[in-house]
Amino acid sequence: MRLATKSLVAAGAACTVLLAGCSSSSDGGGSAGGGEDGALSGEVTMWIYPIIADEAAHTGFWDAQVAAFTEENPDVDVTVQVYPWAGRDESLTTAIASGTGPDVVYLIPDQLATYQSSIEPVDDYLSAEHVADILPNVADSITVDGQMLGSPLLTSSNPLVCDKAAFDAIGATEYPATWDDLLDLAPDLAEQGIYATNYWGSPEVTLNMTFYPLLWQAGGDVFSEDGTSVAFNSDAGVEALEFLVELNEGGYLEPDLITTTPSIEQTALAQNKVACTWQSGPADVESYWGEENIVIQPPLTQEETVGYGTVGSLSMLKGSENKAAAGAWIDFVTSADPVTEFVTTAKMFSPLSSTGELYADDPVYGAIEQTIPDTTVGPVNEHAREVMGVLAPEIQAALLGQKSAQEALDDAAASADAMLG
Amino acid sequence: MTSALHEPAAAPARRGGPARAGRRSVMARWDARIGLLFALPTFLLFLAFRFGPAIAGVGLSFFDYDISGTLEWEGLANFERMVGDPVFWQALRVTVLYTVLAVPLSLGMSLVMALAVRRRFRGVGFFRSVFFLPVITSLVLAGTVFVWVFSTDGPVSTISQWLGGSGQSWLSSSLLVVPALVLVGVWSRFGYGMLILLAGLQEVPRELEEAALTDGAGPWARFRHIVLPHLKPSLFFLAVIETTASFQVFDLIFVMTQGGPARGSYTLVYMLYDQGFKYVDYGYAAAIGVALFAMTLVVAVIQRRFLGRES
Repeated sequence: MRLATKSLVAAGAACTVLLAGCSSSSDGGGSAGGGEDGALSGEVTMWIYPIIADEAAHTGFWDAQVAAFTEENPDVDVTVQVYPWAGRDESLTTAIASGTGPDVVYLIPDQLATYQSSIEPVDDYLSAEHVADILPNVADSITVDGQMLGSPLLTSSNPLVCDKAAFDAIGATEYPATWDDLLDLAPDLAEQGIYATNYWGSPEVTLNMTFYPLLWQAGGDVFSEDGTSVAFNSDAGVEALEFLVELNEGGYLEPDLITTTPSIEQTALAQNKVACTWQSGPADVESYWGEENIVIQPPLTQEETVGYGTVGSLSMLKGSENKAAAGAWIDFVTSADPVTEFVTTAKMFSPLSSTGELYADDPVYGAIEQTIPDTTVGPVNEHAREVMGVLAPEIQAALLGQKSAQEALDDAAASADAMLG
Repeated sequence: MTSALHEPAAAPARRGGPARAGRRSVMARWDARIGLLFALPTFLLFLAFRFGPAIAGVGLSFFDYDISGTLEWEGLANFERMVGDPVFWQALRVTVLYTVLAVPLSLGMSLVMALAVRRRFRGVGFFRSVFFLPVITSLVLAGTVFVWVFSTDGPVSTISQWLGGSGQSWLSSSLLVVPALVLVGVWSRFGYGMLILLAGLQEVPRELEEAALTDGAGPWARFRHIVLPHLKPSLFFLAVIETTASFQVFDLIFVMTQGGPARGSYTLVYMLYDQGFKYVDYGYAAAIGVALFAMTLVVAVIQRRFLGRES
């Protein structure tokens, strides 16, 4: 009986908090947050995650921004809470359902689609100059049904990151630009005990960073244009998966990563045995490879040159009781000066045109900055994560030789289309 | 001897007659009320945080719920979807396979270890502590280490290669992934079972074993006809607990395989977690929880019928 109770607690708790959420008045109202003389007032709580790895630098940044904002708006009390990355969706969904969510939260595009029904569009809270300053492709990635669901704080790019030492080991001076280049180099690298690349195949790893870049490079896409069905089982999808299978069958991929997610210290990446990867950034490999061995290349090319890059934005939740104050805070902290300081500290990139190039003198991050136009944030569809949930195990099945690429993708497509209804 | 010792205390009570007996009855009722009062906070907490959410979860399985607060009556739609969902049946197969392998192995291991450390010998306390250590070790930490143990470069694959095997990581094999998880699961739990059975072994009358020994009974005969019957209540308790834990296995899989490879270790609780917290489909997650509840209840009743009837 103990099991029975525990088995149901997760869902039961959700129901309980749901009831609480239903009964609470979550509408902050348009006038909330305004004082008698029109000045902003009230409390604003923001949830953010350790985007800047150095905890002291991270909290120091937000403390300074809160102080600057409060100087202009003395009646607004802003609290920034830094949560761990792990379990962030669990925490957020539970908080929203129970009516105890924050006013402002950091989200990326695939989350925007998931939480769309709980997000207050920010169009009316940003100044016209601010909106005009947002890079067009960035604005597109956070706009759903014609409404901006967040104000961008940063962008990122996952280009091809190569280990110079691996290429020195085989006497190569050219780095791969295409799939064929990588396949050509792979046997020589294997002779030296080096994997050409790696592939994190666990269903817990987002396909945006693993399989989808190959799909996009082959000219394919995840969803159909209208978003009502999936399209990954196209010829392009099969070509992408067959490329991965070919790498795996040749022994050019680290085998354990296909099914498990060990800590990076336990992987070949940390042992200088992976030549190139598009699934880790310079910050991940620097302590193992050495800064001098990091070579940044554009994303691989097949039909197209395209990689994954995200847009991190600050969104306001509908449950906020101080929407005016929360909107003013979002507008303030995602404007050019705070964004510049934040992204350069976090080694990320700016979503605003007015900030210009930020890493002109940095060979690594300057090179990554040049790849930003080649990136996409991935599908912004409310079913994006469920589709990943059915596709990732089928990709594993193909890599383990249990199914052909076509069979695996067709099976995943059948399950996904059934979900999309 | 015992009754003689108690007689003087009992005599005054009888001398007190009906009035004394009435007072004692009032006191007993008063004591019972005080006892209930003390139990009330725990009872209320149980109602609020265990029983209440469980009932609410059953209710939720009949709805479609959006985190923005929308609640739509779905009737049996979530259950119909579940029955037609091949992933549910795959998860059920994995859950049953894990349970079928883990429960007997865990009970057997617990019993063997309990018998091994039953007798008092030099250092027995040390061995009992060491065997119990995995129970209090974080499963997340242990899982991380076992990922390496079962990896291509780990000791299991290396030994397998020495013995002529392929050296493939167990966690990459759809056939071996569940046995690998079972081994880690049993490693993490046998100490608890050992402790329960060790307590049960203290109840086995020593004189019975000695008499059997005098009559020429061997170790197996003594174990089968004297020790095992006395351990039946403890074994029944452990069987229920281990079955429960096996049906609920999650953290180990989350750390070691994330349900892979190709859903080879995808259990019902993992599916419930995915649907509830990754896809925010609480109604469907609750329906899976209800199915798990029903399954556990049926198995517990069967276990009671065959194992616990005399307990």
